[in-house]
Amino acid sequence: MPNKLTWLTLGLTLAALAGLSLGACKILPTPSAQGGDSANSSAFNPDKMVEEIWASKVIPYLQQKAGPFAEVHALAKTDPAAAGAKYGNPKKQANSPWTFAVRVEGKIVAANTQSRAATIDVDVDGDGKANARVQIGPAMRGTALRDSLDFVQFNDFTNQIDFAQFGKAFNAYADKSVLSKLPRDGLEGRTAKVLGAYTIEGGQDLPLVTPAEAEIGPKP
Amino acid sequence: MKLTRRMTLAAFAGVLALGTAMPAYAADLIAIITPSHDNPFFKAEAVGAEAKAKELGYDTLVLVHDDDANKQSELIDTAIGRGAKAIILDNAGADATVAAVQKAKDAGVSSFLIDREINATGVAVAQIVSNNYQGAQLGAQEFVKLMGEKGNYVELVGKESDTNAGIRSKGYHDVIDDYPDLKMVAQQSANWSQTEAYSKMESILQANPDIKGVISGNDTMAMGAYAALAAAGRKDVIVVGFDGSNDVRDSITSSGIKATVLQPAYAQAQTAVEQANEYVKNKKSPEKEKQLMDCVLINGDNAPKLETFALKN
Repeated sequence: MPNKLTWLTLGLTLAALAGLSLGACKILPTPSAQGGDSANSSAFNPDKMVEEIWASKVIPYLQQKAGPFAEVHALAKTDPAAAGAKYGNPKKQANSPWTFAVRVEGKIVAANTQSRAATIDVDVDGDGKANARVQIGPAMRGTALRDSLDFVQFNDFTNQIDFAQFGKAFNAYADKSVLSKLPRDGLEGRTAKVLGAYTIEGGQDLPLVTPAEAEIGPKP
Repeated sequence: MKLTRRMTLAAFAGVLALGTAMPAYAADLIAIITPSHDNPFFKAEAVGAEAKAKELGYDTLVLVHDDDANKQSELIDTAIGRGAKAIILDNAGADATVAAVQKAKDAGVSSFLIDREINATGVAVAQIVSNNYQGAQLGAQEFVKLMGEKGNYVELVGKESDTNAGIRSKGYHDVIDDYPDLKMVAQQSANWSQTEAYSKMESILQANPDIKGVISGNDTMAMGAYAALAAAGRKDVIVVGFDGSNDVRDSITSSGIKATVLQPAYAQAQTAVEQANEYVKNKKSPEKEKQLMDCVLINGDNAPKLETFALKN
């Protein structure tokens, strides 16, 4: 294919050089003069952006949008689009899975604090079995908090890297301001109260909730 | 630069001159421009786009730019000169491509980008890209799990000019760096190349015999690294790739490489052609220019279902 192309270019060049008129040609400016835009990216500060909207926009949005976990998850399983309209971000990317704002309240039935991606498993309906897994950091998976917000659009960011760092900044802020203050020992049997978001995933693991607010009750 | 401009001018003139002597095209033309088909990922893109374009009644012009921005610029001139209605492009650089796509737009040829995005909006009609960050997170989470959250590891990075090399590396580190007991002892670019990954892995292994894992920015480098490890009798080293190629699928099912991340390359290319068709025929733009497609983790559980960058049910 490259060979063919070379011949084509050569042929066209020869045809032109053979004395055919250039009169109809416009001289286009060479576009190489631009550039240097990349310097702007140093001004991008996702941690600061998140800090500025956290209390004024993020928490009020989640409080207003979130439903109780059992309700949200039941609807999500039967009618994801309806659940998305009610608890999700309707402006999400068409190809992305739904992310829902959710409240998780119940009893901690299991905890994994050995991993740095620590989690608590919460039973919300009192049957003794876990319904949701809540991340308590410091390492956290995913970008559920970012993806639950209808005022955050990928198209508003320069590229995936900026968008990704913005997503990570939500997790970092939640860890710094809320999760790092939670107790780590003897969690089983205590109550948990969480406001956060989760993304529907294909696997058989428990739904993984990323908290924006979280409280753990005293030891029973 | 001057020479390039002159050549371009000459090519334009040639086309104009020839135009009068040539019959009108029977069908509209779609140009499909990707990096080299040596990498099966790019081949799958080209094949997927070509199949969909033919299905929709277009002629196709399939070209490769070999990750050379100058060559890409010439190919776009060719597409313009040949009167293409649309260009499906997996581009040769996030910054360098902006001008080339703008040039096509100015000439009335709309571009539909796949796989790699550019650092500008409003120039291409669509940018349909894999969510490389989300995919890298999936790969890194699996890697962290396989490593037991600790040990020495190596990262092989892709070609620097390709934004996805940086995005994946950042995605990997956003996850892995949360685990202080995971120590990166070497980080090198093998430029997406299998042979380069083989030789780099050989020398990294000599300097760091105590490594436990290798995380690679794509599958061809993962294949090269694993071959070097196997040749050194170190099949115990955990290798994780990215792309979801058939080669790595076969390695996973025969207990070689442990995991990879599937990018839906074939579907992405087809979606781009469908959107190009809508735009050419009905002047209808996609709802959003930048569109992300999520990646899927591939490991021993689902590897048998993988075929040519798509999961079968």
